[in-house]
Amino acid sequence: MILLIILLLPIVTGLFLLLLKNPATARIIALCSSIANLLITLGLISTVPSPSYSVNWNHFMGTQFSLGFDGISLIMLLLTNLLFPFIILSGFTRAHIKIPVLNFLILFTQSALIGVFLAQNAFLFYIFWELTLIPVYFILLLWGGENRKAITLKFFIYTLSGSLFLLFGIIYLFTLTPGMHTTDFSAFNQLHIPAATQTWLFWVLFVAFAIKMPVFPFHTWQPSTYTMASKQGVMILAGVLTKMGIYGALRFLFPIVPQGVLYWQNTVITLCLIGVIYASVIAFRQTNIKRLIAFSSMAHISLMAAAMFILNYYSIQGLLFQVISHGVTIVALFYVVHLIQERTGTLELPQMGGLKHVAPNLAILLLIIVLGSIALPLTAGFVGEFLIIAGLAKFSIWFAFLGGTTMILGAIYMLYAYQRIMLGDNNPTLIRVKDIRTLDFFILIPLITLILILGIYPQPIFNLVEESVKTMQNLLPVNEVVTLLTR
Amino acid sequence: MKDISSAIQLIPLENYVFLSVALFSIGMMGVLFRRNTIAILMCLELMFNSVNLLLTAFSAYHSDPAGQVFVFFIMIVAAAEVAVGLSIIVMMKRNVDSVDINLLNRLKW
Amino acid sequence: MVALISSIAWLVPAFPLLGFLITGLAKNRLKNNQAGIIASTLVSFSFITALFLFFSLRSSGQDSVTVTLFNWISAGDLNIPFAFLIDHLSITMMLIVTGVGALIHIYSIGYMHDDERVSSFFAQMNLFTFSMLLLVMGANYLILFIGWEGVGFCSYLLIGFWFKNPAFNYAARKAFVMNRIGDLGFILGIILVFFTFKSVSFTEIFSQAGALQAGAPMITLITILLLVGAVGKSAQIPLYTWLPDAMAGPTPVSALIHAATMVTAGIYMIARSSILYNLAPITLNIMIGLGLATAIFAAVIGLRQNDIKKVLAYSTVSQLGYMFLALGLGAYSSAVFHLTTHAFFKALLFLGAGSIIHAMGGEQDIRKMGGLRKKMPITYLTFLAATLAISGIPPFSGFFSKDLILTKAFENNPLLYILALGGALITCFYMFRLLYLVFFGSQRLSSAHPHESPRVMTIPLIILSVLSVFGGFLNIPELFGGKSDLGEFLHSAITSKVTEELSSSTEIGLIISSLALLGLIILMAYRTYVKRAVLPAADSESLSLFGKVVANKFYIDEVYTLLLEKPFGFLSDFFFNTIEKAVLDPAVDGIGTATSRLGNLVRKLQAGNMSFYLFAMVGGILLFIIFILIV
Repeated sequence: MILLIILLLPIVTGLFLLLLKNPATARIIALCSSIANLLITLGLISTVPSPSYSVNWNHFMGTQFSLGFDGISLIMLLLTNLLFPFIILSGFTRAHIKIPVLNFLILFTQSALIGVFLAQNAFLFYIFWELTLIPVYFILLLWGGENRKAITLKFFIYTLSGSLFLLFGIIYLFTLTPGMHTTDFSAFNQLHIPAATQTWLFWVLFVAFAIKMPVFPFHTWQPSTYTMASKQGVMILAGVLTKMGIYGALRFLFPIVPQGVLYWQNTVITLCLIGVIYASVIAFRQTNIKRLIAFSSMAHISLMAAAMFILNYYSIQGLLFQVISHGVTIVALFYVVHLIQERTGTLELPQMGGLKHVAPNLAILLLIIVLGSIALPLTAGFVGEFLIIAGLAKFSIWFAFLGGTTMILGAIYMLYAYQRIMLGDNNPTLIRVKDIRTLDFFILIPLITLILILGIYPQPIFNLVEESVKTMQNLLPVNEVVTLLTR
Repeated sequence: MKDISSAIQLIPLENYVFLSVALFSIGMMGVLFRRNTIAILMCLELMFNSVNLLLTAFSAYHSDPAGQVFVFFIMIVAAAEVAVGLSIIVMMKRNVDSVDINLLNRLKW
Repeated sequence: MVALISSIAWLVPAFPLLGFLITGLAKNRLKNNQAGIIASTLVSFSFITALFLFFSLRSSGQDSVTVTLFNWISAGDLNIPFAFLIDHLSITMMLIVTGVGALIHIYSIGYMHDDERVSSFFAQMNLFTFSMLLLVMGANYLILFIGWEGVGFCSYLLIGFWFKNPAFNYAARKAFVMNRIGDLGFILGIILVFFTFKSVSFTEIFSQAGALQAGAPMITLITILLLVGAVGKSAQIPLYTWLPDAMAGPTPVSALIHAATMVTAGIYMIARSSILYNLAPITLNIMIGLGLATAIFAAVIGLRQNDIKKVLAYSTVSQLGYMFLALGLGAYSSAVFHLTTHAFFKALLFLGAGSIIHAMGGEQDIRKMGGLRKKMPITYLTFLAATLAISGIPPFSGFFSKDLILTKAFENNPLLYILALGGALITCFYMFRLLYLVFFGSQRLSSAHPHESPRVMTIPLIILSVLSVFGGFLNIPELFGGKSDLGEFLHSAITSKVTEELSSSTEIGLIISSLALLGLIILMAYRTYVKRAVLPAADSESLSLFGKVVANKFYIDEVYTLLLEKPFGFLSDFFFNTIEKAVLDPAVDGIGTATSRLGNLVRKLQAGNMSFYLFAMVGGILLFIIFILIV
């Protein structure tokens, strides 16, 4: 029952918001709802046994409306409910129009995302998966920037066509279940699909997730969408929506088509690592900050995807840790970028510089976030990245080396961007720029504290997912293809 | 009823089939190649009737009245359809002052 | 005693951290010298605590104490406690870091008092001290790595402290990125250590290492990867070019970070891992080669530098090369000894240089100085002491430490000795060139009015000069009736390779001959720069080809720009403009375009012509029937 509350609270609040006229009240109610959701989620962590909810829903396909969670879902749930209060809070400015509608859409997205992470049934998962697209589409379309129609359409069609493959895959799996009566994950997980089928079924299932993450070369929707999206739009996209891809892959690929994964493992990891280097190298010469961060986010996500396909204990632990750390960091980063855009009126690096003279506090906060992003020890980014690289190294030292180049390349482009924005001589055009206000403190300080705390004391997250990771790592038939040099 | 059935059965089934194929073909050709909408409508009726004929014949040979019941249905539907069709033609005549089928090319919208 | 050590060890890094928090958070409220005083006091407290730990450890009779604060990462069999290892090596390093650090902090109060961001400066210096202490105190490789990256980041901040100047920011970024290149090797090495030993904690690794076979490929790979990290941090060939550029930072920063402490982190790390390195003869040989090459190469470049800080920077690179040579020879404690004396005299040299720059109103070109001996007597005397120490003149500290390395080189191979001695002679020459040009002759820049620095700056100079002069007595070799105290002290933490001892007559012969050569060099420098008062050529003047190459630092920076930076930018453009915009994006958009093209094509069939529709319908049905009939 509690799961149903978590699932429905945002959307119900959102619908209620539509009745309101006063934008200020709408924002506050939305914020309260999201905070309530966060508190309930925190309560879930300690609830033993973990609650679940299930009713019969559709007799024809035997679909159960069943909700439940394990450690992996819980991490995703935690991330979603953690970030949404900040995303809603970041809208507490005067600039927006139609605030009740915007907050309705944001809460709608939250509900749909929670549905994705809670669904215990593939068909239900698919419905929520597609449902996220609707509010996000409108957020992008109505509040986006330049050229939003074409870009939003591309984003929508690209992700939708990926999902089509997923739907086909789910239906195919449904036909394989004994007696064709269920689409529950638990039933899918017990299918013993012939290896030859798994090799093609892998791609059918994977494409949707590869596009959402995105993995090279399915990423082309991402940079332009991030660049165009509004503040809250990009925070949702980069912070949570990309994690959906990772979550989906973890749910579908490894338990259902393990041999398919094994067959394509090297190919996919290679693609991911190409993505890491490719995106990092591209980021270096970008002049638009948002596009630069979009590519940096792609590099990080690609590294996480590579870790996922390695699938050993360290890489999965690192991946799940990095899910939280990347979500928090990227949301903070995009918030600061928008702050800079609101203050200076531009996103182009060549037009900036010397902002530290007028906004020293902002400079310090940005620097800490940048450090989190380039994985300096004692920030959250390091713990995740270290475990991921360790996981890669267990598989192959060369993969670890290639994945590790993100340490170098990340430092190159992030510090370059930081220097271009903040450092340098006084910039006469930016002389009136103001330093951060109270609202920014309320958003940035908790996020930065989180980045630091997770870096100094990451243990709670590890404990949270320990059980699931142990189940996860045994999914591949031959798990450890150790190509290390022998002693 | 029985008399009619036996009367129908006096003629071999093949002949009915040939006749209705011939009628159907004539109707089809008419639909395809005439330009006058009224003529096309009449040809459609011809095709209906060829089918009706076939239905009746088979119904009689199989001693199954369902076929003949269908014929009545078809005749009623055809009558209704003619009413709609003719009224479209009347409207067409009023609007474009012609019943040439090639002028009816706005269906794509 | 052990309980006492465990309970107060955390205070050593906690003091600077506290200082960082105070000066960093309250930076707008602190006036005048308050930030400096707070920062210096806390680092001094840290030093006192370290001293206390030192005596406690000695009286406790234990070799090492591990202090675990909390569990940092515990995932599966990867267990990384946030723990400190207090043993003889780390306590030595702690004393150097906090001792020299405290002196430099005090000095900075005077040096930085005009700067408007003085609070930020001290906050960053304290953060650096904290990170450096983590580095030397860490009980496992990961805690060491926290400090390792932390000092790299603080160095980035402090090099770019005057962030108005884009060149300084570039230098800061360059330092950080080059360090990161090394760090990648380091972290991979740590990971392999973990997979090999199932632990990253020093005590556990080293107790297991004995069971390993020397020269095993895994151990060679691990040591090489760790070496890559050390090469980046300690500015060895090929990753040394950041260190001369790092002189963009304020001079106390150069003294603390880029001379006395941070750059020696690589030496410390390898000395710490001595047991592993002893098992990897290939890596040791690589280190000999790298160290020697760096020592000589940097010394040669130092000959032609005219910026006082650049000369000292290349000299630092060169001295670090000697330490690497010592490490490669398996004489780890000699390397640590040289590290110690180097920390004293190089910090002194940099602080002296800072005093000079301060007096000259920011001028750093030695060609424009001269005759400062009379105007700045304290600076002169302390600088002289440091110069004598670095040149290896007995009984100054550098003599003992450098002689130890040279002797070890001779034990290994006389050729190594000759090369190393050559480097030492070059060092002696450029140091005396510097000394003579700055302090002798007549003042060449009329606009400056040099004056002796305030006492807050000169007192640290004096203390450091005392240390530079007598620091060598920490480790008097048996040849001179000493007992190699430091070497013995470090023995419990470092396993040096056992080599054949030279006979004392050979050793004395070597020392005498090298001293004779040094004397000759000093005389030569005196004749050139004092008697004949030769001034180094201006940049515009034409030099001999070799001179030009040396003056331009062998064009290494330019080569790196051409071979690395430019292609990287080109690759970035290529990926974005060609692959992204001309291949991948059109491929995706192409699917959309193709669909709409196809739609355009099929659209023509739907012209609205009723008879065509009917015809198509009938044709379709007929085709169907034919199909069914045939199949």
